[in-house]
Amino acid sequence: MCLPAMLVIPLLAVGLIALGSRPKVTALWASVVNCIPGCLASGGVLRSGEILFGPEPIPAREVFPAKFILGMDGLSLSMVWLTLLVTVAAIGSAQAGIKREKEYFICLLLIGLGALGAFLSVDLFYFFTFHEVALVPTFLLVGIWGQGDRAGAAWRMTVYLMLGSMVLLMGLIGLYLSLPETARSLDWRVLGETVRANPLSPGTQRILAALLLIGFGTLVSLVPFHSWAPGGYASAPAPAAMLHAGVLKKFGLYGLMRVALPMTPDGWKEIGWIVGLLLAGNILYLGLAALQQRDFRWLLGFSSAMHMGTVFLGLISGTVLGLAGALTLMVGHGLSAALGFAVAGEISRRTGTSWMQDLGGLAQRAPKLWFYLMVAAMASMGLPGLANFAGEIMIFFGAWAAHPGLVGIAAWGVVLSAVAMLRAVRAIAFGAMSPAVSAEGVADLQGIRETWPLAALSLALLLVGIVPLVVYGPAQPVLERLLTP
Amino acid sequence: MSAWFCPEILLTLAGVGLILVDTLAPEQVRRRTPLLALLAAMGILGWSLWPESRALPTSWLSLFISDGLAAVFKPFFLFCLVAVVGMATRYRLEADEAVRGEFLALPFFPTAGLCLLVSARDFLAVFVALELVSISLYLLTAFHRTKPASLEAGIKLLVMGGLSTGFLVMGIAWLYAGAGTTEFSKLLLTQAGTGANPAVLMAAGLILAGIGFKVAAVPFHAWAPDVYEGSPTPVTAFLAVASKAAGLILLLRVFGIGAFALESMGEFFRPILLTLGIATVTLGTLAALPQRDFKRLLAYSGIAHAGFMILALGTGGEGGVGTVVAYLWAYLLASLPVLLFVNEMERLHGSTDLRHLDGIGRREPGPSLGFTLCLLSMAGLPPLVGFPVKLAVLANLWNAGERPALVVAVIMAVAGLGIYLTPIRAMYWEREADAIPARRFPPFLFWVMVMAGLLNVWLGFQPQELVRLAEKSLSPLPVLEAIRE
Repeated sequence: MCLPAMLVIPLLAVGLIALGSRPKVTALWASVVNCIPGCLASGGVLRSGEILFGPEPIPAREVFPAKFILGMDGLSLSMVWLTLLVTVAAIGSAQAGIKREKEYFICLLLIGLGALGAFLSVDLFYFFTFHEVALVPTFLLVGIWGQGDRAGAAWRMTVYLMLGSMVLLMGLIGLYLSLPETARSLDWRVLGETVRANPLSPGTQRILAALLLIGFGTLVSLVPFHSWAPGGYASAPAPAAMLHAGVLKKFGLYGLMRVALPMTPDGWKEIGWIVGLLLAGNILYLGLAALQQRDFRWLLGFSSAMHMGTVFLGLISGTVLGLAGALTLMVGHGLSAALGFAVAGEISRRTGTSWMQDLGGLAQRAPKLWFYLMVAAMASMGLPGLANFAGEIMIFFGAWAAHPGLVGIAAWGVVLSAVAMLRAVRAIAFGAMSPAVSAEGVADLQGIRETWPLAALSLALLLVGIVPLVVYGPAQPVLERLLTP
Repeated sequence: MSAWFCPEILLTLAGVGLILVDTLAPEQVRRRTPLLALLAAMGILGWSLWPESRALPTSWLSLFISDGLAAVFKPFFLFCLVAVVGMATRYRLEADEAVRGEFLALPFFPTAGLCLLVSARDFLAVFVALELVSISLYLLTAFHRTKPASLEAGIKLLVMGGLSTGFLVMGIAWLYAGAGTTEFSKLLLTQAGTGANPAVLMAAGLILAGIGFKVAAVPFHAWAPDVYEGSPTPVTAFLAVASKAAGLILLLRVFGIGAFALESMGEFFRPILLTLGIATVTLGTLAALPQRDFKRLLAYSGIAHAGFMILALGTGGEGGVGTVVAYLWAYLLASLPVLLFVNEMERLHGSTDLRHLDGIGRREPGPSLGFTLCLLSMAGLPPLVGFPVKLAVLANLWNAGERPALVVAVIMAVAGLGIYLTPIRAMYWEREADAIPARRFPPFLFWVMVMAGLLNVWLGFQPQELVRLAEKSLSPLPVLEAIRE
């Protein structure tokens, strides 16, 4: 019962807000209360390895086999917790009293709801559907509450992500139809067993792996399907960027782990060199592009897309260690990207700009904000003790045997990321105080009320950084199973 | 005796009764005609859901059949009738107000014709039923006599309708010459075991062209935009939903499960249907994108939807036929509320130009939300009901190995998003027009649109209900079963 409760609670909050309850308070309470079923479900997962809700798969063949089954295992556990936590932080740092407040908070709740639904779905139909549930409010958030060229950014995101979703859909349809007619199912547990017993032919695997790579890859902003991401994040309001970059983007990676890796293992190996090429593009090209940015939000957008390359390296490593590292980095990146966008949102809300040359001297004026900026920057650089380091180092070790060259490139990525981030911190925090920062009314974070979302994300980063076992421990049996042919 | 209470007879009686009431009854009764008409339509709809209503008079049985398809689609047309009559009570006839009673009574006759059409088992019955529909529709499109556009629409429909009838009659004549019968099951028997007879092929081609006009398939689509735009909006709704559906059901019965369903014919017609489908989807989608009048936009989007259904039919087999049934219901549930909304918009603003939508999302949040959900459902976005049916079309194309058609369908499904996002963007993005009408939408619209939107969401999550409907309708003529075995 805890699993559907996690979807019902945000839905109830949406209803209450529509009926006139105070938007921010309701949304915040709903997302905090949602952690209770999250805790109960996690307890169940840790005890028995997997919990399920919904009708049992019926062996009889049906015309349309989609079944509303929710499930949670060690792999979805960390994704669900990432979603719960980032949703709380995003809603906590969202401004009350913004224009059209009701719709704003409803959209934020719906993104969280869609992401939770996708991570909890066992059935591919609902897995895909819930992701789209989360995408539509993202477009609205960018288009209505965004800044800069918001309409252009929203349309670009819509077209890119919809095209990506369509390719992904083709891949999923193809996967379903390439199974023998008696064994067809949309339930990925059943699918996995079927494919394990009689693998798909190499040709089919190659096509499906390519379709899934392009489909999921577009959603994850893999080069060359990335160009929606930096501009979209730069235009999006901070909570929307937090939720999308932090949580929703992980859907693509999660899908690759859940579907592409176990169902088309040979195809995945065969196109591995293409993935390697593309991820090198992500790390080097987007890393260099990040160096060139003058706007802090654009820089965060590029650096967020850049780290996806390292996660892809974990995915093609072919080792449990590499996959565990990818999972840890997914969580770490989710938390640090959310923290980064939250800080950027706070900065531009106070100073009215996010151009780095117009900032400067923020450390003296707003020391607390500076502190969290440093945490986000250090996490993104991969400083030991924070979650991203743990993930990256595991990926490097895991991928060394198979792809030493790519590990070298990824290590360069760490350097590029460090240079970009340190330059940003120097420009924003130090130096002479700029007019925008010294202006009247620029204040530091006010008390616990404004600090706690940032503090919560930072603590989570620290926890995963010091004890990465909390992420990959429960997932390890699942990851091992994914890799066993 | 209950056979004499079949919906067709009741509809005719109700139509005649309403005209008599409107002509003969005293003034205080006449003022109630709209209510009477609505109650009559609802009553017949309710009765048609009863299994007892499906019996037909014995003397009809040589021409008509009461099978699953008829049982599933008679309520479909009656549902349209209720919506059309409801809209007609609200439509402004301006100078033609005096003839409102006939405007309410006339839709009952084409509905009776459509109910006969879906249960026809002989081409002669098809022809008679189709003429009943066409003649009533000529009257209805030109009903707004003082509005030149309406007269123009009437003339265009008359000319093009006459042409299509010509094709159909010619086809039936060739059929009789080639096969010696016009009855569906006898046609199957004469074709069984032999190759395709050239005269029958010719006949089938002419009949396909005749039906192509009805569903507005490219290249027989040219009448649709002008007629949709010029007709009174309730009549547009009838043309867009009921009349189009009838054409597709006829296509389905003739080429899918009836007269020409055998492999020998299928091999010849499947590529033709696929080509027709590709052309229809492409032209409909691309031509809908730049439209600025909502009814023209719906005309082209309706062409695109017909194209998707023709593609499904072109894949052959049960899957394709079932998909068309489910698609039609999903189309009804999404497009009728949209037309209802447009009707109210026209009542307030006097035209159906898209600019009247600017900023309406803020002024009328409830109806706009429902309208948005229905539009997104037409776009085929999850989690709305339009998604599973489009998914089914794509899956059928993949399964049949029709790669070019699949690629076109995918591209057009994405491009189609633009059609429906344009009005949504106008509703939420654009600034409100300077001249805002003082009056607001009536309260009933709020409830109808919200319920319709929620219904679209619910069926999007539970597409199994539609599958059940499709399975129920899929009872091929017993003769076909026997021949196939």
